[in-house]
Amino acid sequence: MNNRRMIAAAMGSLLLLGLASSSAMAGDKPEMEKCFGIAKAGKNDCSSNKSAHSCAGQATKDRDPMDFVAVPKGTCERIADGQLKKM
Amino acid sequence: MSRLHDTLSDFTYCIITGLGLSDETTAVCPNYRIETALDIYRNNYRGNLHDALSHAYPVIEQLVGKDYFRYLSRHYVDRHPSVSGNLHQYGAEMAEFIAGFESAKGLAYLPDVAELEWACHCAYFAEDAGKLDVMALAKIPQAQYADLILNTHPSCQMVRSDYPIASIWNAHQPDADGDFHVTLDGIPSHTLVSRKDHAVKISALSEPEATWLAWIRSGASLGKSTDAAVNQCAAFDLHGLLLKLIDDGVLIHFTLRSTP
Repeated sequence: MNNRRMIAAAMGSLLLLGLASSSAMAGDKPEMEKCFGIAKAGKNDCSSNKSAHSCAGQATKDRDPMDFVAVPKGTCERIADGQLKKM
Repeated sequence: MSRLHDTLSDFTYCIITGLGLSDETTAVCPNYRIETALDIYRNNYRGNLHDALSHAYPVIEQLVGKDYFRYLSRHYVDRHPSVSGNLHQYGAEMAEFIAGFESAKGLAYLPDVAELEWACHCAYFAEDAGKLDVMALAKIPQAQYADLILNTHPSCQMVRSDYPIASIWNAHQPDADGDFHVTLDGIPSHTLVSRKDHAVKISALSEPEATWLAWIRSGASLGKSTDAAVNQCAAFDLHGLLLKLIDDGVLIHFTLRSTP
């Protein structure tokens, strides 16, 4: 029953806040309509403009990395104890 | 089967596997030897999939470095051919793939970071939804609060991990200062992914908060979900959590359980 009181209290103050600042909550229109087809900022769907893999197909060989890259060499080196085995 | 169908199947097989066309297939390419033309096509196919993975997993790419990420993604592309015309759907199996990728096994947190990144990726492309109608909520009698069923936004997801994946993710965002200190402390974490308007957001949830939201998302009533969270931790702050979830656009809709 205590939990019922907790719910009543939480909802009560929520509604007070919500109604007082109703501009921020109920019934607002989204700031922008979502437009399907727009890619994430800076990302182009078909990666056609700045990628080495444009549809012009200038590369004739796979750029398969050599074995020497088979070791992660990024910011993971900076995570303390990051080489611990799975917990 | 038609001749055209056989030829296209043969061509697809060749692009995906890198093996040659079968002898029965006749192909004409005016500018290159046919093998060279196929190499170009295959290279573009794999390059585009690599780029799609790089866009979906920017934190993984930073964690392991660009060269290793390319190495990883090449193996991923070989294992998982694209099955959708929509490149945004490519890469769903990355967390599982990394977990089984031998040379990445030392980085035990990596699969969970990938899972979080995929959740963010899906959240970005999830359907839109309205906001919670607080005016309508205010009309519900207090005695019925416990019977409220709350619905979450389509973008809402939760990722549980044994590692501080939210801290790792935050340290690799464009606005991070680049000087991060993350220590694997062995404390399980719960990360909430949501989207408000066009921005995907992640936030950490405490254990009882995660329990509450998991119950809510399973369709349990406000009363039952709160009981479950309080049983886990008596200090559970329902008010604070409700405020946060409404502000973040996570709670979008409510109904009253029909049977008391």
